[in-house]
Amino acid sequence: MNTARLQMNGIVKQFGGIRALKGVDFSLQPGEIHALLGENGAGKSTLMNILGGVLQADEGDIRLDGQAVRIATPADARRLGISFIHQELNLIPDLTVAENLFLGAEWTNRLGWLDARQMQRKTREIMDLLGVELDPQAPVSGLDSSLKQVIEIGKALLKDSTVIIMDEPTTSLTEKEIDNIFQVMHKLKQNGVSLIFISHKLKEVMNICDKYTVLRDGEVAASGMIGDTDEQRLAQELVGRSVQTQSLYRERVLGETVLEVKGLAAKGLADIHFTLRRREILGFTGLAGAGHSELMETLFGYKAKTAGEIKINGQLVQIQQPLHALAHKLGFVPKNRKENGILKDMSILQNFSLAGLKKFVRNGWILETREREHFRHFQKQLQMKAPQPDLPITSLSGGNQQKVILARWLEADADIIVLDQPTQGVDIGAKSEIYQVIMDLAAEGKSFIVVSTEIPEMLKLCDRIVVMYQGRIAHILDRQHATEGRIMLYATGAQSERIS
Amino acid sequence: MQPVPNQSASPEQKPLVRVQRLWEKYSVIIAFFILLLAAAVVNENFFTSGNLMNILRQVAIIGIISLGQTIVILSGGLDLSVGASLALSGAVGITLMNETGSVLSGVIGTLVCAVLIGVLNGTMVTKGKIAPFIATLGMMAAARSIGLYFADGGSTTGKVEGFTQIANGELLGIAYPVYFFLLLTVLLVIVLKKTRTGRYLYAIGSNERAALLSAIPVNRVKLAAYSLCGFLVGCSALIESSRLNSISSSSSGISYELDAIAAVVIGGTRLSGGKGSIVGTLFGVLILGILNNMINLMNVSPYLQGLVKGCIIVIAVLLQKKE
Repeated sequence: MNTARLQMNGIVKQFGGIRALKGVDFSLQPGEIHALLGENGAGKSTLMNILGGVLQADEGDIRLDGQAVRIATPADARRLGISFIHQELNLIPDLTVAENLFLGAEWTNRLGWLDARQMQRKTREIMDLLGVELDPQAPVSGLDSSLKQVIEIGKALLKDSTVIIMDEPTTSLTEKEIDNIFQVMHKLKQNGVSLIFISHKLKEVMNICDKYTVLRDGEVAASGMIGDTDEQRLAQELVGRSVQTQSLYRERVLGETVLEVKGLAAKGLADIHFTLRRREILGFTGLAGAGHSELMETLFGYKAKTAGEIKINGQLVQIQQPLHALAHKLGFVPKNRKENGILKDMSILQNFSLAGLKKFVRNGWILETREREHFRHFQKQLQMKAPQPDLPITSLSGGNQQKVILARWLEADADIIVLDQPTQGVDIGAKSEIYQVIMDLAAEGKSFIVVSTEIPEMLKLCDRIVVMYQGRIAHILDRQHATEGRIMLYATGAQSERIS
Repeated sequence: MQPVPNQSASPEQKPLVRVQRLWEKYSVIIAFFILLLAAAVVNENFFTSGNLMNILRQVAIIGIISLGQTIVILSGGLDLSVGASLALSGAVGITLMNETGSVLSGVIGTLVCAVLIGVLNGTMVTKGKIAPFIATLGMMAAARSIGLYFADGGSTTGKVEGFTQIANGELLGIAYPVYFFLLLTVLLVIVLKKTRTGRYLYAIGSNERAALLSAIPVNRVKLAAYSLCGFLVGCSALIESSRLNSISSSSSGISYELDAIAAVVIGGTRLSGGKGSIVGTLFGVLILGILNNMINLMNVSPYLQGLVKGCIIVIAVLLQKKE
């Protein structure tokens, strides 16, 4: 290896008086998959935005194949063969695969008309190269998340990119979809494309990457070959001290049944039976589309059920809208925090008090001092880092936003709290904090349903794990019997067994 | 549990963010004072108490409608029916008053009619799940048409003494409508800041789905927003019909919906909801009022009012575009 594909030397970036990057070196060989790791705020995005032409470095230089380059705009980056695949995919659902691939770079024939046939042929070529079977004429809306990701990669290839930055591509994917993406990444590597893989998931990093660079506080904290390190050591370098990796699970004495679901059915769901006891943490998992999210939305009254009954504390309840759910002390922290959870125009305080606002009202007036007092209480209990509750909610990190939403339901006196993908887009430190908070609250008498596709974390947290497959419960595993392998068997439908 | 260092909210941006938020908050007020200054310099007749009162009196009708429009827009909606509703409910009130000979019954008739139209709008939007633009566009056409039909295209004139006092009476040298406008403004500022409904309005406009998933009675609050807007239109209708003791089925309230939307937008309220304020709208209304007044004082053709208004709307939105 003589010339690196990409070489970034001594990159410094300053925002106001604060140095976000303090002289970072980063290099990438042809056909290398390089993990870029770091907690939120460590400087990953700043570094990648400089590479992508979104930001300008104050100091340092960038070389591509040995040549010094200036990347002043995203268009420059694209011209130089650098593609940035963002977490939020920029696809238009109503257009086809080929139309999306060529969006903004359509091929036309001599008359200026779109040359659909040639574009479809090229699309097929690219998909073949990536080893993916995908009809160029299929609409994007029906595709699963990994295939959408593949289309973004295809766009990059269409522009002859040699460096592709993938920002947490596996966040909302199921295990199987992740495998698909990894296969595509392997193909790219074989074709000499260099990949920068940004992820919080160390296991994936160990699986797929060749090299790693860990950023911490705007500096390179560690870098090297993946073969020379392990998950534990990477995690340590990320946070700068040792992390507990052992179980946070604590034995609790479970109480009476607080929630009982019998024969529940809805669109895409059938025959759902389960119970939840006081102080219990019940996990739900399955492949994407297995129906766990839909089930929770149905339970909470956001989607309509077609059959079945729900009992809370032994009483039959009718929940037709979220308002009714709250009346029965059922709370819900939905997935996709940005779209479903936070109100981005409102302050941290206002986001917190939304569901339980009634408690702060006397004679029709909102008592702001009491609102603040209660917020401070939960701030302490949940270890929220939100020193100024009047700032917009968007000023907080993902983990702290999630805690605000959790506090929203605690304040509203919810006894049963459903959390759908609570650690989505949350960094490692905050993740374990959230799980710790759930464990503490469960010990104090709350009951939880946690939906997640991150099975290892479910194993650490849950008393029982419900595995769903195609809208039905495939199996309910006790803590003692739950293993990653067994869960995958049921989740993929490889083994099915109806519960009695 | 261990403490984890966290550098989430990039602290380096804070001073900038603060300036930006201050500008966002006060840009309308700053613009207002600049305009006030300019007006005073350009014409010496501007800064007379008579003229200033005149402006306030002139903007009261559109001002009160704009307050209602602000509430509906904050909730993520829109009400195009305000102008037509003003004409219809004004006519209903005068007719009722003439029949009964009582001013009070006329007042109640106007308010009830306008609130009913608001409730109907709200019901179409919530229960019928019709886009606010479409629902209120339909209402606008229907209300105007009903008014035209019953008045046979003409005007309805009051025959009861005392009715004109509503718009033309004065207290301490200030016309009643000015009091109504300012009183309602203060009232709504408090409602939006201090009550649950106010908080919910912002939440729904900001992210309706998240609001629903936070167990907020979304439909109830939206219905309340349209009904309240209806009530405010009713108040404006009273002033409009009492001012000349008559209301025209064909020309009263024409394009008031657009003037109100303009005032709201100039006042810094986001057209898609969730962000904005009543105070902003107050200044938006005043800015438009001063501009019209200046055009009059400077003997510029009234036909050019629209041009000025159009430019101001676009400039206001350009200046506020910070996202």
